[in-house]
Formats: sequence, structure tokens, C-alpha cells
Amino acid sequence: MSKFPFLTLLVTLPLLGALILAFFPRSAGELAKRFALVWTLVVFALTVGAWLAFKAGGDRFQLKDDYPWIPQWGVRFTFEVDGIALVMVALIGLLVPLIVVASWKTVEALDGNRSVPAYFALLLALQGMMIGVFAASDVLLFYVFFEAMLVPMYFLIGSYGSHQRRQYAAVKFFLYSLVGGLFMLAAVIGLWVLGGNTFDWHTLVEAEFTTWAERWMFLGFFVAFAIKAPFFPFHTWLPDAGSAAPAPAAALLVAVMDKVGTFGILRYCLSLFPNASKYFAPLAIALALVGIIYGALLAVGQNDLKRLVSYTSIAHFGFIGIGIFAFTTQAGSGAVLYMLNHGLATGLLFLVVGFLVARRGSASIKDFGGAGKLVPWLSGVFFIAGMASLALPGTSPFVSEFLVLLGVFAVNKTVAVIATLGIVLAAAYVLWMYQRTMQGTLNPALNEVPAMKKDLSVRELAVVAPLIGLILFLGFYPKPVLDVINPAVQATFTQDLGVSDPAPKSEAKK
Amino acid sequence: MSLSPYVPIVGLFALAAAFALFSVAAAPLTGPRRYNRAKLDAYECGIEPTPQAAGGGKFPVKFYLTAMLFIVFDIEIIFLYPWAVSFNALGLFGFVEMVLFIGTVFVAYAYVWRRGGLDWD
Amino acid sequence: MTFKLPAIDYLALAPMLVLFGAACAGVLVDALVPREWRYHVQVPLSLVALLASGGFVVALANRKEHVVTAGSAVVIDGPGLFLQGSIVVLGIVALFLVAERRLEPGGAFVAQAAVVAGSEADRKQMRKPGVTEVYPMMLFALAGMMLFCSANDLLTMFVALEVFSLPLYLLCALARRRRLLSQEAAVKYFLLGAFASAFFLYGVAMIYGYAGKVDFRGINEAVLGSSNSKTLLLIGLAMLAIGLLFKVAAVPFHVWTPDVYQGAPTPITAFMAACTKVAAFGGLLRVLYVAFERSSWDFRPTLGVIAAATMIVGAVLAVTQTDIKRLLAYSSVANAGYLLTGTLSMNRDGLKYTMFYLVAYGFTVLAAFAIVMLVRDSDGEATHLARWAGLGRRSPVFASLFTFLMLAFAGIPLTSGFTAKFGVFAAAVGGNMTWLVIIGVLSSMILAFPYLRVVVLMWLSVPGDDTPTVSVPGAFTAAALFVGVAMTLVLGVAPNQALELVNDAGAFLR
Repeated sequence: MSKFPFLTLLVTLPLLGALILAFFPRSAGELAKRFALVWTLVVFALTVGAWLAFKAGGDRFQLKDDYPWIPQWGVRFTFEVDGIALVMVALIGLLVPLIVVASWKTVEALDGNRSVPAYFALLLALQGMMIGVFAASDVLLFYVFFEAMLVPMYFLIGSYGSHQRRQYAAVKFFLYSLVGGLFMLAAVIGLWVLGGNTFDWHTLVEAEFTTWAERWMFLGFFVAFAIKAPFFPFHTWLPDAGSAAPAPAAALLVAVMDKVGTFGILRYCLSLFPNASKYFAPLAIALALVGIIYGALLAVGQNDLKRLVSYTSIAHFGFIGIGIFAFTTQAGSGAVLYMLNHGLATGLLFLVVGFLVARRGSASIKDFGGAGKLVPWLSGVFFIAGMASLALPGTSPFVSEFLVLLGVFAVNKTVAVIATLGIVLAAAYVLWMYQRTMQGTLNPALNEVPAMKKDLSVRELAVVAPLIGLILFLGFYPKPVLDVINPAVQATFTQDLGVSDPAPKSEAKK
Repeated sequence: MSLSPYVPIVGLFALAAAFALFSVAAAPLTGPRRYNRAKLDAYECGIEPTPQAAGGGKFPVKFYLTAMLFIVFDIEIIFLYPWAVSFNALGLFGFVEMVLFIGTVFVAYAYVWRRGGLDWD
Repeated sequence: MTFKLPAIDYLALAPMLVLFGAACAGVLVDALVPREWRYHVQVPLSLVALLASGGFVVALANRKEHVVTAGSAVVIDGPGLFLQGSIVVLGIVALFLVAERRLEPGGAFVAQAAVVAGSEADRKQMRKPGVTEVYPMMLFALAGMMLFCSANDLLTMFVALEVFSLPLYLLCALARRRRLLSQEAAVKYFLLGAFASAFFLYGVAMIYGYAGKVDFRGINEAVLGSSNSKTLLLIGLAMLAIGLLFKVAAVPFHVWTPDVYQGAPTPITAFMAACTKVAAFGGLLRVLYVAFERSSWDFRPTLGVIAAATMIVGAVLAVTQTDIKRLLAYSSVANAGYLLTGTLSMNRDGLKYTMFYLVAYGFTVLAAFAIVMLVRDSDGEATHLARWAGLGRRSPVFASLFTFLMLAFAGIPLTSGFTAKFGVFAAAVGGNMTWLVIIGVLSSMILAFPYLRVVVLMWLSVPGDDTPTVSVPGAFTAAALFVGVAMTLVLGVAPNQALELVNDAGAFLR
């Protein structure tokens, strides 16, 4: 156990930074950017420290920081991470500095005189809250971060969106999430009353509930997470929010924030309500399957790049969903790894799309065409991001998708076969998107946009290079991450949920 | 449960209603009818209700002010009587309380007086 | 004829006696002090009286000796003292708003209420300083509210009800601007209020018919042991409830609320929303918990339906509002529903968290109305929502504060709105009123929409030519605003002290 309060600092430092940035005058935009970059790099260094301090084979939960908060309600500031949470925290730590760099010119490019420091303050606040969500092991603390997280994201979409419909998208995002959050609040209250007036996760895991109470509370949590993730049919906010948000914020939204949903299902739905989870698993798998096919089909039909990427995410979340609810360690590890890899791949894809959109001034696929001739490097990166998104072997998402399918296949072949269809569709939407934007004859309109002639700048290269490097590295050698993930997944499934992996030949039906 | 204590009340109620009906019915039959202007007014004192008062529907509130002040002192008297009757039993405590009560009434009185509530015009 | 003189514990009554005395002195000040000096005498007088009263409350709370005094007409117990203290503190903040004269020459009150609206004389008095009778009237109202919360029998309660209602009727009619609306509000409030008082009094008579007593303890014993038919009790309780529910603005007795909130001078609206709510719920709590606890089987279903209707109707109608004061009025109706939910849990938690909610809501609503007072143009306050568009660009500080308050109303964590809602909902689940909690959660979702719309308007809309300016607040309003916002934050982030207070308050003395 380390004495150094990594998690506390990881939560508070970004929030402190946000507070400092909030007091920057409007005119100090350049200074704010540098400040945000340095600050997030410090946070990144801390995540690296936390990663190193975490012993992969040790206790399930580590790096515990515990302070009293509201003793009357048994609420404590308890931060601790298992392998799953650690991976997500590390992803945040890595992505946010990159997103800060990617946002260097975003605000100025918008019409109207919008405040640069406020943008970065919101970004940092979001970072702190997202880390808090993953690090909290007090249910109320988790809920607090879960809800509070909405506010900065709402303003990022609403105030800095590039789109005419940004208000609509922001309100839709907020209301959807708030509705989910309130369902969860009802369940949290029920949990508190029935679980003996405590919010401590470890105590609540031990608590026994009646069948009905457990099912209702499961649903309360599940709806909130399914909206957040998002699973079909709660997904309709994502394409709007994803297309309206500024590209770096959208990358953060899809790459990290939505993972809160799948993370929540693993940590809270499965562990706290094991019986209800088993009861509802077929439903969840059905929703996830529909999500895979439906998201992919809609992605094929999109004309807007950002909407397209949003829909691909819905399909990917379907994969994560079946991986979780297959209840095998293999599929579960695959799902968690998928959460990380999807964060890297889709984050990259969104950022690259952001670069393209910033150059062209439009996200419509029609406005591109043959752009590869003008910006070969950018189109190359775009290609790599696309390949990672369709899980080409050699890129890291392949490993996770493969693990998920393998694990699912062991328990339910039908599901695995249907899910495989999603891979075919993924190839279709990625390749067709690439073809329509980058290949073929040059769209003459592109020649008239001077920005389209500038290839990848050094700043942009600095953003994409680490991501590409990680995607390729983890594609070949996922072991360091899997070592961290596996024990936590195993504990979730065997200790909390009480299922054991099927023997290779057994007919495992639920 | 017995309703007996309520029976006299019901009886009284019926009696009162009967008397009221009887009076209304009997008056036009027995009384002489000599109409004049004053009798046709809605009220036989105070403000002329028709035609509409001059000055945009404004009407003087002097009567109301006086009436309200009257009620204040009226209530005071009502409280003073039982106190006077049981003065000996209540002793000093009752005296002090009553002085306080009269004091508060005089606060209101002073307010009305100083703010011109007693001026007729 | 012999009398037994009632023993009077003057110290126990001191908080109220001080206010009544100061109110009488205030009337004398208005009678004897020259016009230009009155404001400068009244404000310090009221403030000192309130502080002294608060000091006595604290002293009594420390005495920890709960007494029934004044011939068992008044009971001074823990919850009663907590409610009295809340009324005093909220009253001080409301007094700051009432005393504000910087925003508008002469303050928010008219110089002579009796002048015909729109006449020549009315135009002439536009710039004259407002009436100073508001201060003694406020003190009378506050003292009446305190008595209402600590009355030990129904007759004392009725007297207290009238003592705090009559000044409020008058105060509503004193707005400087929009005289006709203000007078309409006063007349409506007066007529409906008188009607409700009549119901209350009739209910008292019925209860007396049933129990042969009017004091709460006697009624409680009668409910337990009386062999009389319950018809009289139920009719009486229903009528009593109508009178009380009118004051708390529960559906269907809420129809006065929007008109009165809109027409009354904004400081008075704030005063009513904060203090009247405390007093009315204090009275309701005492009546239900002390006198009628044993017939909770009879009234809980009915009052539960009323609470549900209050939450839903308040939330739905808030959605359709276009005037900020009316919006806050309907929000106040919905909040009455949440408070009723807490009240109806009929357990110790219910009492505790209802009181906590009252305080939390009071501070938030005072701050919200303080900001409504600040947003003005040449016609006075600009309350139409369309006029608030783009306010965030004009004055980000106040828009931020208002956003924070809106988030608090919506129950987002880290605001007092969340802790308060959590408390009452948890109490209701514990009191087997889970169905009310579910309706409460659903209505919170609906209610989030109007709050969010205000936020969207302020931040995401472009300011128009007729966007009003936010006036620089005078010291008084600034203080009120600061206290309100600070308490909203403190009660949301660190409610420990307040929870400790409501916990120490214990149960009602029977």
C-alpha cells in the first residue's frame, strides 16, 4: 500500500486547476492554454505514478484514500481502484493532455467571442470529475461525480459547439443523463435504506436483498448506465451530442465519459445485484446485440462524419455489453480491454475527424472526396484510426474484440455469430467512409479551401502519435494491461457474481 | 355515541330559520309602502352607490377608517369587562397584562392619529 | 370563583416577545419619527430585534430544557426551536432584500398604496421613498410564524396563522411597479387566505367536537382512546389540512401561488417563499406528528395523493411558464410536494429531513429572488424569460450564480438541493412511501427542464437589444445573495453541521 494519496490528488488537482482557470481573464487565452497543458501533464505524471504503485497481482482494490464526509449518512470520501478503474483513470490521464493540445485552436475558430480560459476550465473540471467517478468506492460519492460530470460537459457542448443545433444537443444530452441519474438516485436511496444506512461499496456487496428489491434497484442503476453508455434504445442523444460538441470534447465524451456506463454496470450492477444481473442478462445481451447491428447500419448511412463516428461507438458499446453480460472472465476481460482500446481508437478517430472538419469547415462527407491527395499524412492517420476502429488485427481493438467473441462463443454461439455480423458491417462503414472522403477524384471545392492544403502540423502530430503508438503496441503486446485487468474481472465474476467459467465442453445455458 | 347534546342546537337552528323566513314573508304583507329616494338607496347612510362616484370610481374611505377604529376599541372593551369582574383573582399579574394589552392598542391608536387617520379631510 | 394563573416562562417566549415588542415599537416609529428618518431607524431596529431573537433561540437551544408554557398554549421543544431559528435566519436575509434601496430610488415598495394605480398622483409618487410600515409588518409576520411553529393547541395556532397572514396580505399589495398586478395579488391572496382560514377554524371546531380538547396532547389521547365516531375527526382533520395545505401551496390549493408570487414585490415573494414555507410546514409537521400521529393510516393515503399531485402539477406547469417569478412559483409548488413526501414518512427521519429541506430550500430561493431583483431595465425588473436571453454574456458572474441556483433546484449533487432531496426521499423510503419517492423522482425529471431552459437562455442564446442589464447590487442585496449562495453550497458539500442540528433537535414534545 502506498502512502502517497495518488487518487485524492488525481481528483482534486484537475478541479483545482479548473478553479484557477476560471479566474483567468478572457484575454489571457494563450496563457490559459499553456497552464492547462502543464497542469494536465502533471496529472498525467501522477497517473503514471499510480499505475506504477498499483501491484498487478496484489489486492483487488488498492491505493485507498479514505476521509470522512457526512457521518450522519455514512458517506465517506473513499477512493480506491481495482484494475478496471485503474485502466480507465490511466486512459483519462493520457487523453486529456492530448485533448488540450488538440483544442489549441478550437475556441478561436468558433464564431462569436467565446472565452478560452473557460473552455479549458471546463475541460479540467470534467477530467477531475471523471477520475472521481472511476476512483470512488462510496456509492454516493460515485453518484455525486456521475451527476456533477454532466455540468461541464453540458457547457462544453452548449457553449462551444460548432453546430447550429448545439443548444438542442446540449439540452438533450443533459436531460437524458439527468433522467438516468434520477433513476439511479431512486435506486441509491433504496440501497441506502435496505443496505443498512451505509454507502460503503464493500459493505453493500455483502448485503442481501429481496428478489424484487434487487431487481428494481438493478433496473435503476442499469437504466442510468445504459443511457450513459449508451445502449440501444437509450442512444439517441449521442449522435446529436457527438456531432454538436467541439471535436476534442466529443472525443473525450465518447472515449471516456461513456465508459462510465459500462464501468458502472461492471462495478455496481453486477457486484451489488448479482441475482438480478443474471435475471436481466438475456435482456441486456439482446439490447447490446441490437446496438451492434443497429449502430453499424446507421453508421453506414450517415453523411456527417461526426455523426458517423458516434454511431460506430454505439455499435462498439454493444460489443462491450455482450462481453460483460456473457459472464465469462475471458469475455469480461475482453470487454474491459475494449473499453480502453475503444477509448484510444475512437478518441483518435474523433480527433482526426476534428482536424478534417476544422480544415474544411464542414463535417459533411459530401464536402470531401479525394482529400488524400491534398493531405496525405492526415489521410494516412485517418486510415489508421479507421482500421483500429474496425479492429484490424495488429491494432489493439482486435485483441479485445477477439477476446469478447471468444468468451461469448463459449457460452452462447448464436450471440457470437450475430455479433460477428457487426464486424463485417464495421468494415463496410469504415472503408466506405474512407473511400468517400479521401480517395477517388479530388472534389474541386476542396481546392478553394486554403486550409485543406495544410497537412498534419507538428502540434497535431504530437496529438496523434502517442495514440497510434499505443494502439499498435497494445495490438501486439496487451499483456501489461491484461495483467492489471484480469484479477479484477475475475473477482467481479467469481466473487461478486458467483459464476464460474464454463468448462470447454459444457453446455452453458442460463 | 349519543347525539342528544346536539338536538337542542338543531332545534335552535330550525327556529332561527323559521323566524327569518316568517319575517321576510310577513313584512311586505303587513307593512305600509311609502317609497322615497332615501329608501330606494342600497344603504341609508354613507356613500351614494349610484351614479358612479366622481373621480374615476374613487370613493372616500373615511367611514371605514372610523369603523375600524371603533372595532379596535370595541374589542378592547370586551376584554376589559371580564378582567374588571375578576380583577381581585387575577391580581398584579392580570393588571400588568392588561396594561400591556391597552398599551398595544394605544400603539395602534397613536399610529392612526399621527398618520392622519382621524382627520376628516 | 378561583383562577389558577398560568405559569409563563418568559425566557422560553423571549424570541417571539422580542419581535412583537420591536414590531410595536416599529409602529410607533412610523407614527412619531419624521418621514425622512424612518427608514434609517426601522432597518436597524428590525435587524437588532431579529438578532436578539435569534440570540434567545440559541440560548434556549443550549438550555436543552423543553417546556410547555403559557397555560400549555405554547411548547418550546427541539424541532420548534430549530424552526424558529430557521425563520429568524431566513427572515434576516429576507430583511436584507426588503431594505434594499440602491436598485431603485426609494426601494421596491410604493410610497402610498392607497393611491389609484395609474393616476396622476401615482405617477407623482414614483420617485418618493417607499413605505416603512413594511418593517413592523415583517416583524409581526415573523413573530406569528414562530408562534405558529411552537403552538401547542389549535386555537393558538389559528391566532398565529392570522398574525402572520394578515401582514403578508398587506405586504403583497405594496409593489412600486406594476401596481395593479400587485393589488390583484393581494386581494387574491387575502380572499383565498381568508377562505382557507375559515376552513382551518371549522376544522378546529370539528376536532373539538370529537376530542373535547384543542391541545395536541389531548387530541392525541382522544384519537387513541376515544369511543366517538371517527367521522367528526376525519372531517375535522380534512378541513384543518385544507387550511394548512393552502399555506404550503399544495395542489389543489395552490392556485393563488403564481399570481401572488408574480404580483407581490420581489423581496416579499422571496420572504414568502422562504419563511412562510418554513412556518407552514412547521405547523403541519407538528399537527400531524403530535396530534394525529395515531391516525396516520387515515390521512397518509389522501395526503400522499395530494403530495404526488403537488409534485407533478407543479413540475408540469413550471414547464409552460414564461415569467421567471411564475416559474419559481410553480417550482415552489413542486417543492411543497417534496416536503410533503418527507412529512408523510411519519418517522424521525421524516421530521429531520423535512426541516433540513426547509432551510436548504429557503436559502436557495432567497438567493434566486435576489438575482431576479437585480435583472432590470427602465421598467423595473425584467421578469419575462425571453428577456433573460444572453444574460450570461452580459454579466457572467450573476448568470453563473443563477445557474448554480438552478442546478440546486434541479437537485444536482454538490448543491443543497441534492442533499435535501436525498434526505426526504430516504426518509420516505424508510417510512414505506416508496411510491411517493418514485413519483418524486419522475417529477424531478420534468422539473429539471424549466430550470435548464433558463440556463440555456442565459448562456446559449445571443443577447438581444432588449436584454436587460444586471444592476450592481447594494450592500444589502449583495449580502443576501452571498448568504443564499454560500449556504446552498455549504449545505450541499458539507451538510454535517446542519444535519447535526436537525438531529439534536430531536422529536416534538408531546
